[in-house]
Amino acid sequence: MSAHAPAGLARTEMVCPKTIAEACAVLAQAHRDKRAASLLAGGTDVIVDRHLMPIEKARPLDLVVDLTGVDELTAISERDVAGERHLVFGGGVTYWQLRTDRRVLAAIPMLDAMAKDVGAVQIQTRGTLAGNIATASPAADGVPALMALDGVVKLVSEGGARTVPLDQFFLAYRKTVLAAGELIAEIDVRVPLPGARVTWRKVGTRLAQAISKVALAGVIEEERGTITRARFGVASVAAVTHPLGGVRALAEGKTFKALDRATVDAAIDLEIKPIDDVRSTGAYRLHVAKALVWRALAP
Amino acid sequence: MTSRVDRTVGKNVSRVDGHAKVTGQAVYVDDLTTPGALFGGTVRSAVARGTLRGIRKDPSFDWTGITVVTAADIPGDNVVALIEDDQPLLAKDAIRHVYEPVALVACDDPVRLQQAIAAITLDVEPLPPVLSIEDAEAKKQIIYGKDNVQKRYVIEHELGGKTIDELILACDVVVTGRYAVHHQEQMYIEPQGMVAHWQEAGEGAEAGVGDGVHVTGSLQCPFYVHKAMKRAFALEGDRVHIGQAVTGGGFGGKEEYPSILAAHAALLSKVAGKPVRMIYGRKEDIEATTKRHPARIEITTGCTKAGELVALKVECAMDGGAYVTLTPVVLSRGILHAAGAYKWKHARIHGWAVATNTPPNGAFRGFGAPQTIWAIERHMDRIAEKLGKDPLTLRQQNLLAIGAVTVTGQTLTQSVGVVECIEKAVKSSDYFAKRAAYAKPSPAAGSRTRTRRGIGAAVFMHGAGFTGSGERRLKGKVQVDLEPGGRLRVRSASTDIGQGTETIFRQIAADAAELPFDTIEIETPNTSNVPDSGPTVASRTVMVVGSIVGKGAKMIADRVRASGTGDFATLADALLAREKKVSTLVEYEPPVAVQWNDDTYRGDAYPCYAWACDIAEVEVDLDTFETKVIGFWAAQDIGKAIHPIMCAGQVEGGTLQAIGWALYENLVMKDGHILNARMTNYVIPTSKDAPPFTTFLVEHPFSGGPSGAKGVGELPMDGGAPAIAAAVEQAIGALCNDLPLLPEDLFRAKSKSQVARS
Repeated sequence: MSAHAPAGLARTEMVCPKTIAEACAVLAQAHRDKRAASLLAGGTDVIVDRHLMPIEKARPLDLVVDLTGVDELTAISERDVAGERHLVFGGGVTYWQLRTDRRVLAAIPMLDAMAKDVGAVQIQTRGTLAGNIATASPAADGVPALMALDGVVKLVSEGGARTVPLDQFFLAYRKTVLAAGELIAEIDVRVPLPGARVTWRKVGTRLAQAISKVALAGVIEEERGTITRARFGVASVAAVTHPLGGVRALAEGKTFKALDRATVDAAIDLEIKPIDDVRSTGAYRLHVAKALVWRALAP
Repeated sequence: MTSRVDRTVGKNVSRVDGHAKVTGQAVYVDDLTTPGALFGGTVRSAVARGTLRGIRKDPSFDWTGITVVTAADIPGDNVVALIEDDQPLLAKDAIRHVYEPVALVACDDPVRLQQAIAAITLDVEPLPPVLSIEDAEAKKQIIYGKDNVQKRYVIEHELGGKTIDELILACDVVVTGRYAVHHQEQMYIEPQGMVAHWQEAGEGAEAGVGDGVHVTGSLQCPFYVHKAMKRAFALEGDRVHIGQAVTGGGFGGKEEYPSILAAHAALLSKVAGKPVRMIYGRKEDIEATTKRHPARIEITTGCTKAGELVALKVECAMDGGAYVTLTPVVLSRGILHAAGAYKWKHARIHGWAVATNTPPNGAFRGFGAPQTIWAIERHMDRIAEKLGKDPLTLRQQNLLAIGAVTVTGQTLTQSVGVVECIEKAVKSSDYFAKRAAYAKPSPAAGSRTRTRRGIGAAVFMHGAGFTGSGERRLKGKVQVDLEPGGRLRVRSASTDIGQGTETIFRQIAADAAELPFDTIEIETPNTSNVPDSGPTVASRTVMVVGSIVGKGAKMIADRVRASGTGDFATLADALLAREKKVSTLVEYEPPVAVQWNDDTYRGDAYPCYAWACDIAEVEVDLDTFETKVIGFWAAQDIGKAIHPIMCAGQVEGGTLQAIGWALYENLVMKDGHILNARMTNYVIPTSKDAPPFTTFLVEHPFSGGPSGAKGVGELPMDGGAPAIAAAVEQAIGALCNDLPLLPEDLFRAKSKSQVARS
């Protein structure tokens, strides 16, 4: 028992729904009753945050909706969208599942590489994709990878469902389009074409148990030398995970040889203004982001 | 006589504490069950410097059942008794650093305790703080003495009436350099904690518990705490009982701070009338407890064109933090290692420590030596660069050896294994071939991941045991008792803090007494049942205390064997029946030859030195400037490895701590506040970041240590950083004179050097 006690947990009710519908009903009711509710998936953010919160700043938490018993949320399935192969992850899919699911390993090894860089095995077995997205940390590891894979989240509530592309999901630092009563039920990603250049590179403070200084995911596809698709997700360089839309616009439709470092760097300068913080400096982050993007795009 | 017993020294016997620790049965301070104990917490300053005008308790808060104490409640002197009396246990008028303890709170509920702490406001009138060595030297604000200097030492060697500057200027080649090192947090796995209770006269007599105050906790030096407690509570020594709980690491961090925490817990307990437990969380531990001293070291040297070192001038400034703590001793060891492992004809080494309004810096593995060895080793590379020589060759050319004289005038007479250390590390790492290969231009162009490799070496030594006349003054003692069945009980104040003291003392005692390993018991240190063996610091536990453990065990065993014929256990029981108590108290006697003059700082600075050569091979990503240590060779002469696996563990662990200091760790401070007081963002290397280690334990025995053993605890901390820096420098071609070498620092250095070149 450390002197730093978890704040206010004694007053918190916990419910354990078995289905998404049940979870949504509980959330909706809590919203109507004006009770402060939190979803609990892997717990790697919500529990740590509450543990570290200074007691005088602790917000009351009336209700915890534990999603670990909702089996629908842990499924991994495939679907065909307009002739393209997609994988669909339930929101509760863990990093460890990404590291061990044969379909994922065969179709998108980049997700395995990303998952290996998350925390350590203990965190990988608890942490979930939806949790990573909902926390909306700009330093999230899962989000840039899913963003580069054209990830689309399916948000479900008592009233229905909607889909939002990941690059439109984040509004500002730790702010998302997720409405009260909604949960992230699924994440759909497009499987890169065979032969695509798929990049994952996390520059962390160390090799494990690290938060990124910069992390870049990239999917580059080409047809006869012309770039047909250049999608990115970059972590820790802006208030939200950034899709580098300017670089995408610059690269798509061009040949690799038509791109030069200075032009790509200039596009990045227009998009991100990384800051100094306790982990790194803005100048370093910008330099590394440019170098990693160039590694992904260089002829 | 008894039958021959297998000797255990030099063998890897199982650790006696291993099973309990691996199975989770070991009882650390936080595991102690103390019925009725209150939780204790601390109200700390949020400003770096100021005048305390008042302490306000929020009247709207329910204070029922909550104890609050301040400086006014301290029955004895409000000082942390150590070297100087400048540090109060609780600030009374002056605030000298952020996190300075001002009031203490106890409550039976940990959540209410936190709320109560938040309900106390300190009225502090802020004053401009001094936050760096340069601020302190500028003397715009005087916060200590008349010039902010906490301590100053000068070593002068063979100046012959000239100044060191004159002697240097007379040399063929003059090299000047300026080097800096930063804070380091010990990051022991177990944060600090203490449990205190008071026993009224007669109360515990039946259970054999003495009157007075009992404090048990995580600590290195029970008698340091004992001394501080006597002073704070104005008590006789026999009413203060300080015991050690199983301790999860110290690295020096549990040398001086436990005195403060013990007094805090005891004070709360006294006022509340109940036992009190004060267990720090990680954040509070990082914020409040001591760190390694940052330092700025300027070196100017003169040598011949052929590379013979002639004259050395060192100007070393250390940041002592807000209070003196152990700073003078750290500074002393720092300057005594500033000349490195080399011969100098003339030297002047000037060191001073300044006060700043930052949390006090204190003991940390290496104790000043890693700072100055960083500087001299980097400077050796600068000299080699200027001479166009291989840096390791330059070192080999100038090494101290038996018969050579150090800068304090000490003639080395034995146990100098440095040549063998270098040979072993060089051969195994293939240093010279790699150094030549990596000096050639960049690898294949067009490869998308651009990396470059480098290799670097450091040669160094570490004085074993206390500096100068320390051991002579201290007179460390050990008691050995005969127990039924022919068992021996060793009573010493040397704590096992994870480094294996319990195991090693058994090995030493068993071999000296010619008894089986498992017939030796080690008493858990408590000031009421062990003599003062001195603190568990300074790489002295095996060499100094171990030597008297062996001596005492042999004395008892000899008495038993001289008492008649028959097997040992029977003789022992008969002797015990006759004499009731068979016991010996042995006092350490430093080798007579060791002579030291504290006034002139001349003589035998240490009874002997441990020697080492570290070689680091790195790969640096030229885009991200991440450094991966791909190989590390450490050959270290420690006299004798009593337990080779644990010695190798000390070498690897100490080296990894040095790698952390060089490449990962960075205490971020702003206005005296620590911004990264968490394991998440104060980054130490994990096992994944650790390089493959190749370790050689070189054994050039020291006649004064048990089986020839010297110290191993601190030596491995000294050479890792400069070896890494030399390798990084070769890889990326940017100057690495200042620690740390985070990717951001290398990026900045490289950007600067590119600007300079264009």
